[in-house]
Amino acid sequence: MASQNRLTNTLIHAITVPPSPQPVKPLLQVDGLSVSYGRQEVVRGVGFELGRGKSLALIGESGSGKSTIARAVLRLLPSGASASGQLTFEGQDLLALPERRFRPLRGRAIGFVPQDPGNALNPVRTIGAQAMEAAALTEEPSAAIRKALILETFSQVGLENPQRVYDSYPHQLSGGMLQRVLIGLAVLPRPALLVADEPTSALDVTIQKRILDLLSRLQSDLDISLLLITHDLAIAAERTDSLVVLKNGVVQETGRTSAVFSSPNSAYARKLHADVPALNPDRYARLRDPALRLRNAGEAPKIDVSSVTKTFTVDGKVLTAVNDVSFAVPAGTTHALVGESGSGKTTTIRLLLGLEEPDHGEISVAGERLSGRSPQSLRSAWRHLQLVYQNPFTSLDPTWSVENLVREPLDRFKIGSPKERAQQVREALANVGLGEHLLARKPSALSGGQRQRVAIARSLVLKPDVIVLDEPTSALDVSVQADIVEVLLSLQAKLGLTYIFVSHDLALVRQLAHTVSVMQRGSIVEHGAVADIFSNPQHPYTATLLQSIPSGVTASVPAVPQKSRHILREERIA
Amino acid sequence: MSFVTTSVISGSRSRAWLSAFRVPPTVAISFLVVAIVIAWSLAPGLFTQYSPVVGIPADKLLGPNLNHWFGTDHLGRDVYARVVYGTASSVSSALVAVVIGVVAGGLVGLLAGFFGGWLDIVLARLVDVLLAIPKFLLAVIVVTAIGFETINAAIATGVSAVAIFARVTRAEVIKTRQATFVEAAFLSGGSRSFILWRHILPNASRSVLPLAVLQFGESILVIASLAFLGYGDPPPASDWGLLISIGKDYLKWPWLVYAPAFITILTVLSVNRISRWLRKTD
Amino acid sequence: MSNAYLTYAAKRLGQAVVVILLAYVFTFVVVSILPGDPITSVLRNPQNGFSEEEIAEIIAAQGLDKPIAVQLWNSLSGFLTGDLGVSMRSGRPVSTLIAEVLPSTLILASTGLAVAIILAMAVAYGTQFVPKRYGQGLLRGFPSLFLSVPNFVIGLVLIHVFGFQIGLFRVINPDSFWATLFAAIALGIPVSAQIAEVLIANLDREAEQEYAAVARSRGIGRARLFATHLLKPASLPVVTVVALTIGELLGGSLITETVFGRTGIGSLVQRSVSTQDLPVLQAVVSLGAVVFVIVNLIADLLYPLLDPRVKILGGKKRTPTTADEVSINTTKAVAS
Repeated sequence: MASQNRLTNTLIHAITVPPSPQPVKPLLQVDGLSVSYGRQEVVRGVGFELGRGKSLALIGESGSGKSTIARAVLRLLPSGASASGQLTFEGQDLLALPERRFRPLRGRAIGFVPQDPGNALNPVRTIGAQAMEAAALTEEPSAAIRKALILETFSQVGLENPQRVYDSYPHQLSGGMLQRVLIGLAVLPRPALLVADEPTSALDVTIQKRILDLLSRLQSDLDISLLLITHDLAIAAERTDSLVVLKNGVVQETGRTSAVFSSPNSAYARKLHADVPALNPDRYARLRDPALRLRNAGEAPKIDVSSVTKTFTVDGKVLTAVNDVSFAVPAGTTHALVGESGSGKTTTIRLLLGLEEPDHGEISVAGERLSGRSPQSLRSAWRHLQLVYQNPFTSLDPTWSVENLVREPLDRFKIGSPKERAQQVREALANVGLGEHLLARKPSALSGGQRQRVAIARSLVLKPDVIVLDEPTSALDVSVQADIVEVLLSLQAKLGLTYIFVSHDLALVRQLAHTVSVMQRGSIVEHGAVADIFSNPQHPYTATLLQSIPSGVTASVPAVPQKSRHILREERIA
Repeated sequence: MSFVTTSVISGSRSRAWLSAFRVPPTVAISFLVVAIVIAWSLAPGLFTQYSPVVGIPADKLLGPNLNHWFGTDHLGRDVYARVVYGTASSVSSALVAVVIGVVAGGLVGLLAGFFGGWLDIVLARLVDVLLAIPKFLLAVIVVTAIGFETINAAIATGVSAVAIFARVTRAEVIKTRQATFVEAAFLSGGSRSFILWRHILPNASRSVLPLAVLQFGESILVIASLAFLGYGDPPPASDWGLLISIGKDYLKWPWLVYAPAFITILTVLSVNRISRWLRKTD
Repeated sequence: MSNAYLTYAAKRLGQAVVVILLAYVFTFVVVSILPGDPITSVLRNPQNGFSEEEIAEIIAAQGLDKPIAVQLWNSLSGFLTGDLGVSMRSGRPVSTLIAEVLPSTLILASTGLAVAIILAMAVAYGTQFVPKRYGQGLLRGFPSLFLSVPNFVIGLVLIHVFGFQIGLFRVINPDSFWATLFAAIALGIPVSAQIAEVLIANLDREAEQEYAAVARSRGIGRARLFATHLLKPASLPVVTVVALTIGELLGGSLITETVFGRTGIGSLVQRSVSTQDLPVLQAVVSLGAVVFVIVNLIADLLYPLLDPRVKILGGKKRTPTTADEVSINTTKAVAS
């Protein structure tokens, strides 16, 4: 009983944040912060301030320096980096403090939620052992109470079986659960500031929303200030009070989130706003819609997939990757396959390309059956059916030049004379907006966007009827994504191509596809015209996916019932 | 995030020259050492006027001096001349060993990795067997069976290296075979043999090259060890290992050991540095 | 002990037996088929003074007149029943010859291994604590330097400095404490360079992992980060590396024993090589393979028990590829 009282006291103590003595002064004030790696300056003269209990988003694309700023606040920069400027936190200049005096602030005053939960916990130690490190920061002397605190925190962040999580190794939990653990450990010592570095970008969309909801709830419940690093303007708009837009290490615009979001001043912020699919559903309408009008109603579909099933046997267990999937795609249109990881969308397109044999069902492309073919005749089918891979960093042979990469399909299928081939290579590159000066480059000398353009040019050069696009933009920044989508849609308008577009991003699908199939656990749960599905989803899973799209409208954090809001109080423990 | 740290070198011009080739100074020095060693083995007569075989008995066991950089041995022969003339068999035999290891091991690994199936199972077991026999013992019994000569020592060293190249090449080929760009090449209409030679081999060999360079250094050491035990060419040959072996009986005059040992170490160190650099720049 | 682990263990054990048998066959083939018929050349060497009758007797006793397949079968079945044959030179059983010299080599090799492991740990862990300006570079240079030094040179330098100059031990008394210790150091240094290289690379890699930064964000200091987070994941894979260096130790003891004038397996091999005593060579090399295979088998069986990341699935060692693969169902966990 005595120990229970102590636990109660500790928990109550832990949750009662003393009122701030000077509410005027910001909690964190950054002035003229510059960070360089060697001679390369990656953050230049950045300044912003974050009030107590407020939230601020640092937003930018890769190379913008946003994560570097987060690490600078935590003083976790890699050894080769040097930071200058002022980081004032609760009146202390963080950069001027010796490590010995800064260390007590880590965890206790400033918490950290990392980007990729899969790598953020030591793989050879149990979750419990690592949680104890965070619990030790509460100064609670009794180990039993510390453990109880951890278990309470785990259930507070929505983990169902805290004891089981406590005893697990990191690889035994899913990404979403690990991120809950990490958030729990970060808030457990009740820091005044929480730094979250892209806390959801490694997670599936539906999980993303739940994690963001959790962060918002904890922030308001526990009166923590939140520094959110993100590449997603819509997420920033939903979740934060103020906004700092960064590009190449320089601040482009700062201000109240609602103001920046509704009327951005800087050109970069405007472009960023225009490139986020969720905020601009009709951006490509002029390119997309003519295809629909041109199509003849009576024409046979270009792609016909009927009742296809595929199972795999893994470690003696039978997994159904694709279960009775059917869809048809009219020529010259885009059909999207949407789903989260493990939904079977990748297996579906591998079946479509003949890279896997279906157990049941039939697939035909342009009236020709694909299943049950010999490798030789599959090869002739690929003449008209090409694939663009998700990751342009692995889909191009690093030892080949751009010219040879784009020419390879022509050489292999022996199309035209060498001179004609060289001409076609140039045309294909011009089609995707790449200049001839890149012909001799190796992929390693190209940016991610350029690589994906090369991959598209490679699939275009055969003048195929159908191109399967497997998440072609998911490894790229939003502005690059917008460029690639533009290229794809103009090519479709120009050449009458039929696309299968695989994506986890519903907002992107709404921008460019004509029809859509929503997949969950190997089955299509809903399909139809994009406009219908988005305006009137029939299946609850589709509805959940749609709700998970960040809309940029300040999220009404689901009103937490009084009971769970005070989850740490007596009635729970008694 | 990684940062290249280069030690300070004098002169901005040489720095500009080096950075143009993106070669750290220690690697540049290593290339220089290897170049000198190769020159010694091609034309030893250009680097010393002394004979490696005939000595002047009156000058025996002199310490290092301006006339005899590495001193003289018990027969009054110039040790530097003996080292220079011994380079050819010490270093070129290591090259033979590497070629045997890379070609035989690489072929086994390539076939096993690309074709898989029963061929892979059989070859992988054979490689396991070769790996199970301690390398140096393997080299010793092979050289015993084919006779004590430096070239045979090189063959034995090469045989003992086959397994490791087979294993690495196989792993690389399997990794490359599963790469997305290989599937992409199939979709572009490539045949199996085309993909094997033009996509898989070039990519797999990128990581075999640094290993081959590393093996070159190790072969120098193994061949020197075999020579040290007397399994190479007999005196008056002056393989580096043999020189050290003779020198060990004259430890009162330590330069007889230290001079050839220094050259051996410097050469292998340089080769290993180059290998590391190749691995990093890949 | 799960079922999967036992299946895995049985499979590895079976593989090990096959590899040992094949290694024996391979050595047999190397020593008997390769050109240069060393057998008759040794026996007919006038220095050995065998008469033609004696030669015929020896050939018959060793079964050398039988077809090669029969010889292999006899030799292999002898090996399996523990009969390693008879030395061609001395006529004594090979197993006796080996038993006489084995203890000395075991002492040398095990001391050498201890030196190698201790030195490697000191160097590798040192790189994490010694600041750059106090010689961290020296520690980092240790593996590449000593991977470039022939181990007989290390031995000669130790003899020259500690034997001749300082006089800590006498070369004519190779079994004294100091002589044995320095022989073990000479044997252990190149091996420790190999271990240290892997250990340093692992430590550097672990220190750069995200989890290290996250642990530091919980206020963990450098020393505790090293001790509680980095040490285990960096050191565990080294178990396999240490097992692989057993071959190095066996080969190295051959040279070290020559340099320090010790009697042991190495000197036995040396003598047998110079007299082309093939049964002895065959036995020593095969035993080397047996030791190597057994040590590596133990390491492979131990490793999955030590490292929680390695899950035994379907009889194979495998690290789960995604967290989701083995996830506890999360869907119901969130009722918001």
